[in-house]
Amino acid sequence: MADRVGNRGYVTYALRRAAQAVVVILLAYVLTFVVISVLPGDPVTTTLRNPQSGFTEEQIARIVSYYGLDQPVLVQLWHSLSRFLTGDLGVSLRTNLPVSHLVAEVVPSTLVLAASALAIAVVLAFTIAFGVQYLPRPFGPALRAFPSLFLSVPTFLIGLLLIQLFSFQLGLFRVIDSDSGLATFFAALTLGIFVSAQIAEVLIANLDQEARQEYAGVARSRGLGQVQLLLRHLLKPSALPVVTVLALMVGEVLGGSVITEAIFGRAGVGSLVQRSVSTQDLPVLQAVVTLAAVVFVVVNLVADLVYPLLDPRVRLLAGQRRSTARPEPGVPEPGVAAR
Amino acid sequence: MAPQDRLTTTTLTRHPLPAPGVAPTDGPHPAALLRVEGLSVAYGGDEVVSGVGFTVAAGASLALIGESGSGKSTIARALLRLLPAGVGRASGRVEFDGREVLGLPERHFRPLRGRTLGFVPQDPNSSLNPVRTIGMQAQEAARLVEGIDAGERTDLVLETFAQVGLTDPRRAYDAYPHELSGGMLQRVLIGLAVLPRPSLLVADEPTSALDVTIQKRILDLLSGLRESLGISLLLITHDLAIAAERAESLIVLKDGVVQEAGPTASVFARPTSAYARQLHADVPALNPDRYADLRAVGATRAADPSTPVKIEVRGVTKTFGTDGNRITAVNGVSFAVPAGTTHALVGESGSGKTTAIRLLLGLEQPDVGRIVVAGEELHGRSHASLRGVRRHLQLVYQNPFTSLDPTWRVERLVREPLDRFAIGDKRERSQLVRAALESVGLGEHLLSRKPSALSGGQRQRVAIARALVVRPDVIVLDEPTSALDVSVQADIVDVLLRLQAELGLTYVFVSHDLALVRQLAHTVSVMERGRIVEHGTVTQIFDDPQEQYTRTLLDSIPVGAGSAS
Repeated sequence: MADRVGNRGYVTYALRRAAQAVVVILLAYVLTFVVISVLPGDPVTTTLRNPQSGFTEEQIARIVSYYGLDQPVLVQLWHSLSRFLTGDLGVSLRTNLPVSHLVAEVVPSTLVLAASALAIAVVLAFTIAFGVQYLPRPFGPALRAFPSLFLSVPTFLIGLLLIQLFSFQLGLFRVIDSDSGLATFFAALTLGIFVSAQIAEVLIANLDQEARQEYAGVARSRGLGQVQLLLRHLLKPSALPVVTVLALMVGEVLGGSVITEAIFGRAGVGSLVQRSVSTQDLPVLQAVVTLAAVVFVVVNLVADLVYPLLDPRVRLLAGQRRSTARPEPGVPEPGVAAR
Repeated sequence: MAPQDRLTTTTLTRHPLPAPGVAPTDGPHPAALLRVEGLSVAYGGDEVVSGVGFTVAAGASLALIGESGSGKSTIARALLRLLPAGVGRASGRVEFDGREVLGLPERHFRPLRGRTLGFVPQDPNSSLNPVRTIGMQAQEAARLVEGIDAGERTDLVLETFAQVGLTDPRRAYDAYPHELSGGMLQRVLIGLAVLPRPSLLVADEPTSALDVTIQKRILDLLSGLRESLGISLLLITHDLAIAAERAESLIVLKDGVVQEAGPTASVFARPTSAYARQLHADVPALNPDRYADLRAVGATRAADPSTPVKIEVRGVTKTFGTDGNRITAVNGVSFAVPAGTTHALVGESGSGKTTAIRLLLGLEQPDVGRIVVAGEELHGRSHASLRGVRRHLQLVYQNPFTSLDPTWRVERLVREPLDRFAIGDKRERSQLVRAALESVGLGEHLLSRKPSALSGGQRQRVAIARALVVRPDVIVLDEPTSALDVSVQADIVDVLLRLQAELGLTYVFVSHDLALVRQLAHTVSVMERGRIVEHGTVTQIFDDPQEQYTRTLLDSIPVGAGSAS
């Protein structure tokens, strides 16, 4: 009985969160559209009437009417939104190819980069956090400085250093061959170092805090050593907030990939954005920004949906997440026997 | 709760237990199990324990008594070598079974923890990992028992849970800590401590976070296990009555120095040190008439039928929750309080006391019933006029460690209600603040302090001054001393009674401590599960209780009588 009610609570919660996610994506689309349309500069003039593009006045008129560029902004938004909802992302102004085609071309490469960067970040962050706790005196405390160091050094500098050292000096990979395994690894490392810093800081702070909790001392009174205490007791409560941080980091990774791809000469979403901005290829920009919003929202939705399954203290009440640390005063405490 | 109280006598096949009540066969306590000599502990440069020495014989029980800051918990931590790393330093000699352990390297000491030295912590609610099931944590204790496999370990845990009086061991095993009540969690923790059969159990204020009735059950459980398993007990407490009831010998500590030590009978009955005498005088249960003179003023008012009624609560009911999960927190509660007297609401956690006073303060709306304070109907009025009534209705919250904003200074804390109600100009407010502080016995030099620079007793005086400063008629006291030591509690009770005699204040006093109620209150309502089960004057309730529940509460008061054998 209790389980069934619990499941119903979870389903309500999940549906509510999913609905919110859809609303956020639509809002992101509208907002992008509005921002792009108020930007100075007329893409029709700069792109289509550019002699190099080779469009005839007739073609230009067709493109203009296809996008409804001659119509009021609100009507344009309506058309654009309804096309988006049917999965039609439009046609690139620069290449005249379908936007979905352009995006699909670059997404896998960025996905590989982002996923490896996140994986490297997580491994690095946990290594640093454990080292801080358990390495002997001069080394452990010294590691504490690393996260803030990683945060304060710009990504491009780390990237250039890695290229200088491992490509030019040691010749481990060739910058020209940007899709090789090692090149991808170093690109991901560049991005991962930056991302790991914020995860490591959360983890170090949480481990410190959990180690000071009453229960940690009581667990030691049961004869647990430092390593057992860490693995059995401190790790899980300290790592739970990392789920939330990781989801937020996805935004950083997407932003950081623009710079990293430029440094390592990789074709990806970042380079596509770069080209589209410089040529004012609005349909592509609109699609990429929306794609980023979708990824961000979906990842955070997953984090929200997974969290209640990991943390037993989070109870779902009327579709909302609540922490039930202790029963309210004045309300009878739920007893095991009473259930 | 009731069925869990029985100490279940499960016999373990692999770990045979002597039947409860049967003393260990080694005869009367042979050699010293624990011998402490010249133990000193320093945090940084501050020595908090100085040259403490005592011995605990095998199977014996010893209580360390003292107020907070006396170093008693520090001694417990030092014995288990769980002092904060790098900060706390212990010196002296601690012998366990004839072997010096204070200087032992950690890897040689660690096997002793749990196996021979068991520990029962103070606050059960924060002593188990919140994100792991109780069973997973119990397995850690079971792993200390050698020569049994995984299945046998689980059986052993379940048997131990049954033994400490958990009615449904399997449920407790699968539960997360937040799913059990404080009393049940303390049973779990005691179970985990005794499971590997240690020879000494160190219990650091094992009941100070629990209700009186649960306190008695937990102490009974500890005494029972001590007898049936032959475990020695080092009990740490601030309550002399508990210590005298549960231990064979006592050590009285103050500021890290032993004041008095000896067999319970002599220390308790004929304390020789001034401090031990003071502790004895501060225990409410041992001195029910300590404040008889001050209380007499209100008692006369309560007995006089012409005294006007200050508070009238009639037929009030409050239900929380939605359809599936409704809880009637307060159910048809009625009582009346004559002006200038103290009415006590007594009951355990969950009895509805807190909801009752929230209704009285106008913080909740009753579903049914009415509440009249000083002739004014409290509910169904506008927000503005409710504020006017609230000025005469102030609250002193139970925990002064959390109820005062840590970033504010005393002057601002006490002045805030004056600012809120826009009383007087700047100069008058300043005078009123000083007057309020003086009336609770605090000097002007404290005005610029922050709460962190005050003791617990001083903080609670500030909280009382804050309530007093707007000159209310009624003060609601929500367990105002439950977070404080007995000696500080005596201070606060003295201040409260003095103020009532001088200013004619009406108190509504919420407590689960009947001994304190007897010292302080004039009339009593006993609450159980949202209802008032018994009502009367203090004399009626204490001398002639009618209800079984009231008798249970009365029986739970530790009085130090019949000290442990």
